[in-house]
Amino acid sequence: MNKVLTIAGGELALWRRTRVAVLAVSAFAIVLVVSCLLTAQRMSHAAEERTRQQTTAEETFRSQPERHPHRMVHYGHYAFRSPPPLAIVDPGVDATTGQSIFLEGHRQNTAMFSDARASADLGGLGSLTPARVYQFLLPLLLIALGHAVMVREREARTLGSLLAQGVTGRELYAGKSAALLGVSAVMLVPVLLLSAYGMLRGESLAASLGLFGLYAAYAVVWCSAVVLVSTLAKARSVALGVLTSAWLASTLVIPPLAVATTDVAVPSVGKTQSDLRMQAELRELGDGHNASDPAFAKLRDNLLAQYDVEDVADLPINFRGVVAQNSEASLTELMNRYAEERMALELRQCRRAAVFGWLSPTMAVSNASRAVAGTDLETHHRFLRETEALRFDFVQGLNKVHAEQLAYSDDINRSRDADAERRTRVSTENWEVLASFRFEPDPTDVRWGRASADALPLLAWLGVFTGLGVTSSGRVRP
Amino acid sequence: MKSVTRELAFLVRDRGVLLSLATAAIAASVAILLGMMEVAQQRATIAELLEADRAERQVVQAGQTDWGGAAYYTFHLTVDEPTDFAFAALGQREVSPWKHRIRMLALEGQIYESDAGNPEFALTGRFDYAFVVSLLAPLLLILLVHDVRSSERTAGRQEWLSATSGNDHSPWRMRSGLKVALLTGCLLVPLWIGGLASSSGVTVLALASLWTALHLLFWWGVCSLIDRRGWTSSVNLVAASGAWLVLAVIAPAAIQAIVDASIHLPDGGDIVLTQREAVNDAWDLPKEATMNPFVARHPEWEDHVEVTRPFEWKWYYAFQQVGDQKAEEISRAFRDGRQRRESLAAKLSWLSPPALLERALQRAAQTDGRSALEYEDRVRRYHAQLRAWYYPKLFPDLPFDQDLLADIPEFSDEGPPDHHWQGGDQLIEEDSTTR
Repeated sequence: MNKVLTIAGGELALWRRTRVAVLAVSAFAIVLVVSCLLTAQRMSHAAEERTRQQTTAEETFRSQPERHPHRMVHYGHYAFRSPPPLAIVDPGVDATTGQSIFLEGHRQNTAMFSDARASADLGGLGSLTPARVYQFLLPLLLIALGHAVMVREREARTLGSLLAQGVTGRELYAGKSAALLGVSAVMLVPVLLLSAYGMLRGESLAASLGLFGLYAAYAVVWCSAVVLVSTLAKARSVALGVLTSAWLASTLVIPPLAVATTDVAVPSVGKTQSDLRMQAELRELGDGHNASDPAFAKLRDNLLAQYDVEDVADLPINFRGVVAQNSEASLTELMNRYAEERMALELRQCRRAAVFGWLSPTMAVSNASRAVAGTDLETHHRFLRETEALRFDFVQGLNKVHAEQLAYSDDINRSRDADAERRTRVSTENWEVLASFRFEPDPTDVRWGRASADALPLLAWLGVFTGLGVTSSGRVRP
Repeated sequence: MKSVTRELAFLVRDRGVLLSLATAAIAASVAILLGMMEVAQQRATIAELLEADRAERQVVQAGQTDWGGAAYYTFHLTVDEPTDFAFAALGQREVSPWKHRIRMLALEGQIYESDAGNPEFALTGRFDYAFVVSLLAPLLLILLVHDVRSSERTAGRQEWLSATSGNDHSPWRMRSGLKVALLTGCLLVPLWIGGLASSSGVTVLALASLWTALHLLFWWGVCSLIDRRGWTSSVNLVAASGAWLVLAVIAPAAIQAIVDASIHLPDGGDIVLTQREAVNDAWDLPKEATMNPFVARHPEWEDHVEVTRPFEWKWYYAFQQVGDQKAEEISRAFRDGRQRRESLAAKLSWLSPPALLERALQRAAQTDGRSALEYEDRVRRYHAQLRAWYYPKLFPDLPFDQDLLADIPEFSDEGPPDHHWQGGDQLIEEDSTTR
C-alpha cells in the first residue's frame, strides 16, 4: 500500500512541476467554477421566478369578477414548470422546451417561450452547464494529464528499473490510477457542493448523492480508460492519439449521430401534424359551442327521456352546460390519445438513441444525469400530463356550474338580451374550482428507475476497463 | 511540380494521414446524407400538412353561415419551407417552429406556440455539415499538421531537409499545405455532390466552399505558429487542441452567455398575459372601450362600429385586435431584443472562427435565428392580410357569401418579408396611415 501511495505522490509531484499540466488543471477549474456559479444563479432565479408567476396566475384567476362560466373557460389559466433543485447541475431540456403553458377549454396548447428560441445560436457545444463541463471537458483533462502515466516509464526506460526494485506492475498501475483519481476527486468537489446546495433547496439525499455518484463514476470510467491505454501503448503519441480519438467519438461524433439517425429512422410527428390528423375524428364529436349540433341529438334524447320532458327548455338543468361538459370530456379523451401517441413517439426516439450509450459513455452519463436531476424528457411529459389534468378539472368544474347554476332560457338569449346576459353571470366563489399547481420532481426512486438503464453502460465500461487494466498491468514488461 | 508529386507519394503511404482524410470524407458524407434525408422529411411533412389543411379548410368553410364564424373556425397553415441549401446547416429549425396554424383571433396569443422537434435531440444538436466543418474539421487538421516540423526534428531530419531545400520554410509549407488542401477537398466534394443533388445555387455552394477553406486556413495558421516554436509533437498537439477548445467550445458558450446577459428580454409570459387580460376585460367593458381604440387604428371603419347587441362579431374581432394593440409595445420589445441579440452575436462571433463559420452557413441555408424571426414576421404579415380581407366584410355587415371564401389570401413563403425587420405590426400601422 505504501508503495502505491509513493507512486501516486510521485506522479502528482511531476504534474505540479509540469507547466502544461498546471495550465490544463487551472483552466479546467476556472471554466468549471464559472459555469457552476452562472448556472446555479440562473436556475435558482428561474425556480423562484416561475413559482412567483404561478402564484400570481392563480390569484388572478380567482379574483376575476362575476362572469358567465364559459367565459372563464376561455379566460384560461397558466401553468409554469419550475426547475427542480438539481437543475443547477444539469438544466437538461429546460432550455429547449417552453416553460409555461396556457390552459383553456377545448384546446391543448404547446409550452411556450423556450430559452433556446430566444438565445443567439453560436454553434459549438451550446451553453456550458456544469453537467456539460464534466461530460465534455473532464475526460479531456484526464487525457492531457494521464495519457503518459505508464507509457512514459516505458519510453524513458525507467520501467525496467522500477520492476527490478520490486515494484509490481499492478502496484504501478494502482499508484498511477490513484494519482489520476485524486485529481478527479478534487475536480468533483464543485458538483458535490452543488448537490449539497440542491439538498438545501429540498432535494433528497439519495438523488443529490446519486447525481454526484454518477459524475464520479463517469470520471472513474475515463481514468481507467486513460491508464489502460497508457499501459498498453508502446509510445506516448500512440496513447494520446487513441485516447483523443475515443474522446472525439464519445463526445462529438456519436451523440449527434445518434440523434440524426434516429430522427431519420423514427420521424417526429409534430403537433400541427397530429392536430390536423385529429380534425377528421374531431368533427364527429360535434362543436361543444353549438348545442343543436346533430352530434348531441342522442344526448338530448337521453336527457329528455331521463327527466320525462318534451323540450330541452323544460329540463331542470341547463342543456348547454351539459353539452359543454360532454363535449369537453370526449374531446379531451381524443386529444389525450393523440398527445399520448406523440409523447410515446418521442420516448421511442429517445430510447432508440440511448442505445448509443453503449458506444459513448458521454451519452450514457448525460441521459442518466437528466433523469436523476429531473430535467429529462419524461419529466417534461409529466408536466404536460399534470397541466392537462389541471386544465380538464377546472374546465369541467366551470362546465358543471354552467349546467347547474344557469337557466337555459337566459343562456340562449344572452347574446340578444342584456338582462338575460346579466343573469348568466355567476358569483366569484365559483372561481375556486381552480386547483393550486406546483410542479415537483418525481420521487427519487422513480428517477433512479429511469436513470438505471442509462447508467448501466457506464458500469459495464468501468468493469471492462478496470478488468483489462488490472490484467494487463500484471503482465507489464519493460 | 516534381516536389508536389513527391510529397503526395509520401502522404499516401502515411496511414495516419489517410485515416484522418478518410474520417473527414466519411463524416462530411454522412452529415450531408443525413441532412438531405432530414430536409426531405421536412418537405414531406409540409406537403402532408398543406394537403390536410386544404381538406380541413374546405369542410370547415362549407359549414359556415356568417363571416364571423368563418373567421373563428378557419385555421390557416403557415410553413417555412427548407431552402435547397438547408441540408448543410439545419440550424434553428430544431428549436424554432417552421409550421404553424393560425386564425384571425388575437395573434399575440397564438404566435408563440411552438411545434418543435424532440427537445432532448435539440439539446444534443445535429450531425450536419456545419457541425462537421466548424467543430470536427479543425481537430482533424490539427492531427494532420501539428507535427509536420516537430516529427522531422524528432527523427533528426529537420536540419538536413532545410539545408537541401531552396528555402527554409518550403518543405514544411508544401507538405502541410498539401495536407490542408486534401482535407479541404475531402470536405468539399461531398458538399458539392449534396449541393448538386439538392439543386442548391452555385453561388451559395461557392460561398460555403470559400468559408470552409478560409476556416481551415485559419487553423492551419494556428498550427503553423505553434509548430514553429520548436516544441515536441505532444506539446504541439496539446497546445493546438487547447486553442481549439478555447475558440470552438468555450468562446461560443461565453459569447452566448454575454449576449443573453447584456440584452435583457421582456418575459414572454407577460406578452400573452397582457393580451389575455385585454381581450377578456373587453367582455365586461362598455363597447366603446373597445371600439374607440380600434377606430384609432382603423379610422376607415369609423362609420361601422356601432354595436347594439350584447354580442356581435365585429365587436369580438375588434377586441381581439385591441388585445394585440395593448400587447404591441412589449411584444415589439421582445422581438427587437431577440434581433439585437442576433446582431450582437453576429459581431462577437468574429472572436470565434468556428462560430463565425457555423453562423455563416446557417445564414446561407436560412436556418439561423434571423430566418426564424423572418418567418415569424411573415406569419404576422399574413395575419394582417387575413384581417385586411375579413374587416371589409365584417364591419359594413356585408351579406355572407360562401363562394368568396375561396379568395382568402394564402400564406406565402416567398422570400423575406418586405419590411425586413418590422413585420406585420408595421403593416397594420401602414394601413391606418394610408387610408
